[in-house]
Amino acid sequence: MIEVLRAGLCDLVMDLGRPGRRMLGVPAGGAADPAALAVANRLVGNDAAAAGLEIALSGPRLQFPQGGVAALTGARFAARRSSGAPVAWNETLVLAAGEVLTLDRPETGCRCWLALRGGLAVPSVMGSRSTFLPSGFGGHGGRALQAGDVLRCGVPANEMKLLRASPPVDEVEGCLRVVAGPQIGRFDDVGLAAFFGTPYRVDAASDRRGLRLAGTPVSHRRAELPSQGVLPGSVQVPPDGQPIILGWDGPVTGGYPVIAGVITADLPRLAQLKPGEAVRFVTIEVEAARERAAGQWRFKELA
Amino acid sequence: MGKQTTGQPLVAPTCWRWVGERGLRVETGAMTLARYASLLSSNLSDIEDIIPADGSLLLILRRAARVSPEVRAALSAPLDVAQMAVKGKRHEIVVDYGGAAGPDLPALAKRAGMSVAAYIDCHAATEYTVAFLGFQPGFPYLQGLPPTLQATRRASPRQQVAAGSVAIGGPYTGIYPAGGPGGWHVIGRTDAVLFDPERPAPALLIPGDRVRFVPA
Repeated sequence: MIEVLRAGLCDLVMDLGRPGRRMLGVPAGGAADPAALAVANRLVGNDAAAAGLEIALSGPRLQFPQGGVAALTGARFAARRSSGAPVAWNETLVLAAGEVLTLDRPETGCRCWLALRGGLAVPSVMGSRSTFLPSGFGGHGGRALQAGDVLRCGVPANEMKLLRASPPVDEVEGCLRVVAGPQIGRFDDVGLAAFFGTPYRVDAASDRRGLRLAGTPVSHRRAELPSQGVLPGSVQVPPDGQPIILGWDGPVTGGYPVIAGVITADLPRLAQLKPGEAVRFVTIEVEAARERAAGQWRFKELA
Repeated sequence: MGKQTTGQPLVAPTCWRWVGERGLRVETGAMTLARYASLLSSNLSDIEDIIPADGSLLLILRRAARVSPEVRAALSAPLDVAQMAVKGKRHEIVVDYGGAAGPDLPALAKRAGMSVAAYIDCHAATEYTVAFLGFQPGFPYLQGLPPTLQATRRASPRQQVAAGSVAIGGPYTGIYPAGGPGGWHVIGRTDAVLFDPERPAPALLIPGDRVRFVPA
């Protein structure tokens, strides 16, 4: 059980999302870095798909009245436990009854994931426990956590060991690898040079629906474009030329030209971009993108 | 001609454009719903989702999946006539046209050179087909809007459009399932619940369904 003493900026219950419903206008959603949530779950003996918390930019203060077993993955936040014990990332944490875990701001990056043994027992809506904030369903009442909320845990799925996980090594820092998009032909040399040659800053008006970028306008031929299907990572260019990278809760169709698509392996890095940070884009072939499937985490048993 | 008689069936090669390394955007034109129905019935295990849109489909491959021969075959399989007549459900949706429920109706009728009553009659006389859902969960893009009723989107979107608003956007008429900002011209409102995630079938209307509006 968790009692929320202080809510963070946007603490959302997430699992691996609800793919297969996009034809209803419902995006897959789910944890912005599904591998990081799955690893946190493994560290507490849950199935990969158990629901945990996705915490962004400014974290909550949580009390565990009956204690519990927890794990944190993703960006490291300044954090403390009321017991004074260290808050290790990527490792099984055993919390004493009544212990309080406080997460402040990330040291680097933007988001972390907190798993609890048994998983968060919120109702499944359309096949998932993930919060879909734009329509207010799933997760904890379809909203971010608030002070006073109480979340219960389910029944643990597996035996538990004390484990430490090592994240995969990041291959390319600072750029996002993209596959050329379906409307790349609408962009002239000036637009392409801007997009692939200059950095873009993440705007404050960014969230799980999309990352708005600011930088050299990406010029293109303006013409009516019929609505087309889009995916998280699709980079749309509206008439003002400032690109938008669609996020996990973004719309399933869009009417702006798509210049590029961030490859799946780099979506976890998208999850760690915060307002003010700069990104660059670099192209990669489809086949190479597929081979860059998520890097492998390694696990070690703690004595 | 010798090279062509290799026993291979003569099927037009399928082209797509990549959206990321998991999305295949296939141009389907007027056959979008028929191809969508055909792909759904093929139950392709490598495909996580299919998004119908305006003249195209986006097939989303499961993570790390390749474009299998089955997917290629399904994309180029001939569409039979029965599939083309997509068997959608028929719906009648009661609409309170005009007034506070439809603030843009007078201006839209005037632009079309019609009386408000004639605009309503024309909107309600047509049977529409759900081309696709998008923008919000359960938001239907209904095709079949008579050209005289069509209107480009509002120059500036409304901050708040009520749930159930029936609206006109370009060649489509649609219904807002939930309240929120919106750029379409609002001509009326319905009490029908377009989307409820707790229902076994969350979206009232799905691609291929037919819709008629009935003035309240």
